[in-house]
Amino acid sequence: MNMSYFLRRHWLTLAFLTGCVVLLAGGASLIGDRLMERVTINLCINIVLVMGLQVFMGNSGILSFAHIGFMGVGAYSAALFTIPSQMKNMALPELYPVLAGLSLDPLLAILVGGLIAAVIAALVSYPLMRLSDAAAVITSFALLVVLHTVMLHWSEVTNGPRTLFGLPKYTGLLLAASAAVLAIWVGMIFKESRIGLLLRASRSDEIAAAAIGSNIPQMRWMAFILGAFLAGIGGGLWGHFITSFAPKAFFLKETFVILGMLIIGGPRTVSGAVMGTLIVTGTFEGLRTVENGLNRAELFSGQVIGLTEIVLALAMIAVLILRPGGLFPAREIGTLITLRAKGKRMNSSV
Amino acid sequence: MTTASLDVQTLSVQFSGLMALDQLSLRLAEGEILGLIGPNGSGKTTCVNAITGQVPIARGQISLKGQSLSGLTPREIALAGVMRSFQIVRLFDDLSVQENVEISTLVRGTRRLEAHKKSRSLLEMFGLWDRAEDLAGDLSYGQKRRVEIARALIANPHFLLLDEPAAGMNEQESADLMTLLSDLPKAYGLGLLIIDHDMHLITQLCHRVHVIASGQTIAEGSAAEVIQDPAVISAYLGTAPGEGDKRGA
Repeated sequence: MNMSYFLRRHWLTLAFLTGCVVLLAGGASLIGDRLMERVTINLCINIVLVMGLQVFMGNSGILSFAHIGFMGVGAYSAALFTIPSQMKNMALPELYPVLAGLSLDPLLAILVGGLIAAVIAALVSYPLMRLSDAAAVITSFALLVVLHTVMLHWSEVTNGPRTLFGLPKYTGLLLAASAAVLAIWVGMIFKESRIGLLLRASRSDEIAAAAIGSNIPQMRWMAFILGAFLAGIGGGLWGHFITSFAPKAFFLKETFVILGMLIIGGPRTVSGAVMGTLIVTGTFEGLRTVENGLNRAELFSGQVIGLTEIVLALAMIAVLILRPGGLFPAREIGTLITLRAKGKRMNSSV
Repeated sequence: MTTASLDVQTLSVQFSGLMALDQLSLRLAEGEILGLIGPNGSGKTTCVNAITGQVPIARGQISLKGQSLSGLTPREIALAGVMRSFQIVRLFDDLSVQENVEISTLVRGTRRLEAHKKSRSLLEMFGLWDRAEDLAGDLSYGQKRRVEIARALIANPHFLLLDEPAAGMNEQESADLMTLLSDLPKAYGLGLLIIDHDMHLITQLCHRVHVIASGQTIAEGSAAEVIQDPAVISAYLGTAPGEGDKRGA
């Protein structure tokens, strides 16, 4: 890819989205409020995860449920390298001796976690990439179930259904924000790359894409691997932020949230992925405060639980009915700003 | 026989019992414009679909410059140098007009900047440069047709198969397209196969015309020859002039 050509075309989108992350992270750091800092770190990790999904789903048009499974692979893999040796005896009592001595710097471990997720994705996904529509969605769901079942029952490596603990708290605001910005750039570069363009063409019309000579399964495969890599990185970051987790963290609930962020924002654009994450995370935190307030006020006989999920579900339904392509369905935010400015200039010159 | 040709030999295509193409043979040389005409349902589009690998062939042989294309995927056939347009235009609606065109050369390994330059010159040639940044889905039908042809052309194909390229165009657009198409074989050294119902376009543009009905060849030759062929007249009108009288006699 010609980088100067790419930057000339997309500098405004990249500047805007990078600016959003930097402003939020900078603001949280300056204010120094712990809750705000936690929310911002979570938001940045979510951007990494949503970008991973966008790379595949947004460009190929194929809904993938497997994504969160690769987040789990990344989280568990990275944990194997960062849980201190003494702690491993307690956290992973059945761990294979050959893995007991593994140790890496957390940053390197998170990267290795991403790579392991990518390698597993490469090995298992190629036959699935020939499928489209419902068949592709169902097989991706099956893949999520396989990954979840392995995490649930491979006690030697994951501690089974029990919580894995002992990860060092490594993911801070700077690391999470840097990863989010990098993920945005990677997503944008991929979207505008030759592979990204061919993939987007196949999303639009598979028959026409084949008729111009595009190798659709191979393009999808590459996007799937990159998406799994980002998901693995996101998992590693999250694991080293939360420091203890169980396999249930990488299943349907998380899938639904990440999918909701992408669908509401607009899966086809990087701007949609980022803005969707910002909006949903912001709404979630707002609703959580409302939920807590309602519970403290004891307005109802029981506890108010699940308000956030219900609102997210309703928001997804509303977006799919009223604006099926999401808030940013086709154009990146930079292009929209440029077009609007051009339109204003033309109007004023008439 | 020169080898620079696209040869279809005794091609048969069957759709669950219906013989859509029955032992059809035709040949298209580089630099030539061949018209493929016939009544509705005669098998013209099926012929293009079979050549480009979109439908499986039951019998027969398709070869490009002596190399068999039979059994290859649409992708492999496109990369071998046979490009097409579709009867119902198939653009990538949510890509820009320029991306729609440059994508065909990117798939062949051209660098992005080079693809950008090539697509620009083609879009200028087709009078669409001012719409380059627009989404392809926002174009008029006639403009979409031109983008589809530009998308095929940028791949430098040996043979270009156009399925009703003038459909949906007004008279002026159709005339402009005709001028454009007539120059292509010389400018690009390609063979052009055109399916169309517009007999004016076919007679003005094509060096040879191949007529099929019910999946079989009923006539071939120059445009002037085939339009006088009784079998062709019969296929289009039901009976050839005078034939009914003879039968009645």
